[in-house]
Amino acid sequence: MIILETRSLKYTYPDGTSAIQDLNIEIKKGKKVAFVGQNGSGKSTLFLLLNGTLKPEEGEVLFHGAPFKYDSKSLREIRKSVGIVFQNSDDQIFAPTVYQDIAFGPANLGYSKERVDACVQHALEHVGLSRLKDKPPHHLSGGQKKRVAIAGVMAMEPEVIILDEPLSNLDPMGADEIMDLLHEFNHFGSTIIISTHDVDLAYRWSDYVFLMSNSKLIGQGTPAEIFREQELLKKAGLRQPTTLEIYHEIERRGLAYGRSSPKTIPELVNTLKPLDLMWVDVPPKVKEGDSLNLGVMYGEYATQSPYEAINASVLHIHPNGRAIVELKRKGIKAGGVLLYDTDNYSLEEIRQILNEGEMVFVGAMGKKSKNLVEQDGIHLDVTSGVIDKSILMALCGKRCLILTAGGMVDHALKRIREYVEKSGIEFTVGVVNREEGCKWLEEADESPEMLKL
Amino acid sequence: MTNILDDYALMSPLRHRNNWLKLAIVLFGLLVGVSSTSPITPFFIALCMSFTTIVLGRAPFKLYLKLLLAPLGFAITGVIIIAFFSGSGHELLSFELIGYPLSVKADGLELALLVLSRSLSGMCCLYFLSLTTPMIELFAVLKATRLPESVIELSMLIYRYIFVFLDMALSIRYAQTVRLGYSNFRRSIHSMGMLGSTLFIRTWEQGDKLFLAMNSRCYDGKMTLFEVHRPLRATELVLTFAYFLSTVILFYFTKNISIV
Repeated sequence: MIILETRSLKYTYPDGTSAIQDLNIEIKKGKKVAFVGQNGSGKSTLFLLLNGTLKPEEGEVLFHGAPFKYDSKSLREIRKSVGIVFQNSDDQIFAPTVYQDIAFGPANLGYSKERVDACVQHALEHVGLSRLKDKPPHHLSGGQKKRVAIAGVMAMEPEVIILDEPLSNLDPMGADEIMDLLHEFNHFGSTIIISTHDVDLAYRWSDYVFLMSNSKLIGQGTPAEIFREQELLKKAGLRQPTTLEIYHEIERRGLAYGRSSPKTIPELVNTLKPLDLMWVDVPPKVKEGDSLNLGVMYGEYATQSPYEAINASVLHIHPNGRAIVELKRKGIKAGGVLLYDTDNYSLEEIRQILNEGEMVFVGAMGKKSKNLVEQDGIHLDVTSGVIDKSILMALCGKRCLILTAGGMVDHALKRIREYVEKSGIEFTVGVVNREEGCKWLEEADESPEMLKL
Repeated sequence: MTNILDDYALMSPLRHRNNWLKLAIVLFGLLVGVSSTSPITPFFIALCMSFTTIVLGRAPFKLYLKLLLAPLGFAITGVIIIAFFSGSGHELLSFELIGYPLSVKADGLELALLVLSRSLSGMCCLYFLSLTTPMIELFAVLKATRLPESVIELSMLIYRYIFVFLDMALSIRYAQTVRLGYSNFRRSIHSMGMLGSTLFIRTWEQGDKLFLAMNSRCYDGKMTLFEVHRPLRATELVLTFAYFLSTVILFYFTKNISIV
């Protein structure tokens, strides 16, 4: 479903500089969209047009298929539904305290005092700033200000959140936290639009990319499609994302195979393994192209996890009866990633899981969960890039516990399952304190051979 | 970053107490201090207020002394002059300075002490307010005084942007200093002028941005002020009452006492 759309949009600044020329875009509901382009390519102006702040010279903007009207009542509706977070938080936060700034939007929507309070508390909790609600903005750090700005928009519960350069001037930890937040909003159904010139971010984060240059749209597509096109990137004055560049270099040297577009480090590492070939004796009737079941291997034959079920496809049969096969390994009882929903938090339960589940690696996602467990003195090995690092640990046969809450649980589960599916390397994933329970804990004591392959 | 009084007030534990109670205490202190006829009551008020500010309000002791010293310097100069040049009665101290006779008389000293004690108590009361009540708490009080909405809104915006522009001014000044903008008097004047004009233009731009920011969150010409409800607690009431009572009793019994 298309939520925002522009048709032959044109905008020129009063001084005659053209900011947007003939722009046609469609943004689908529930997507994570990135506008990528150099500084001054027209992204910020476009955002002001999408939010009804600027009125286009020609063309129109449509929300849910209906063209924007520019009378004050319709504008109110649009601004309620399309929230915008500015690049510089100091431009956005104008009230003397955090609470009052976040309450500004809901109060303007005419909510009752109780409802405003509920909205603000909810937004504050979400961004993990409940403790700072009475602080004046000039006592906050850059990352905290950004979170206040986001909370201020979030409190109005918009369908679309637009963020102009959300990670500018943030340290890596602060940036990760903001990205986690955005993932979570997206998971709850918000459409998120960001502008950035950070190609790595756009490549890793977005579902769909619009490439802008000199106030024109010069390309659109999934990140994998867009960032493969070197010429297009050059035209936009951008470079390739680092992971993709590294991947292309190793591919050119014949060290990686498969025409894939790895987005994260685990994916990149996974493309690195060479074609797994082996000489085996095959029964006489086997033909080239057949597949063989080689059973369960362990010790030096199992390279990725303690035990592996191996299938092989025959590539070539030598006249002497030996054949070259390509091995397909499936790890059994490798490491795993366990998710813990901190909405139903109990310290005892976590301690029990840590002890009995032999967890060696604990991470937390989301400010709320981090604060919660740090209060209780649980040592966290990792607090940023948690999913990627946990996958890497699980691949090395370690067990990881991720503490997180709400929509982030599903988001993490989805990401890890996707990885398992794509890579074919099996490790267990599950949420421990939800109704469906976790398969892994029940199986943990059984011998690996008993597991279903 | 603590360099202005407001910052200390923000960190003070007394910040979260009822604003009206604090205002009442200050007002009471000011009125009783000024109307007292002996210096004892004002000194008592000053002592109580200092104690509250430093011990209960956790204001740094050194800072508090420094703050007091500035106005106290003026007060003491004035007091010395009063002591020497006014009053009648018997002489307590007299000497000659370059052939000119100077003397302190009993009445003069009494008056000088009274002036000193009154100004000290007033200062302590006001410092109590400014070190425990940040500006952001006072907006609600302003609202209750039925000031026009727009004045309150403006003051809220001004409060916020003071700090934004302070930061801006500091960074511009720094940028000028590292490029030797203040190396001699002529250049300092020139740089200062540039800083002023740049700041003016920036404030103008910031105004545009502010309008955008408010508009994009459905600004309809009214900024609602949300008061934080701070209920009075029994201990606070008892303490305040005890303070009021002891001050009034002291006031009553010392009204005709002269200490010289």
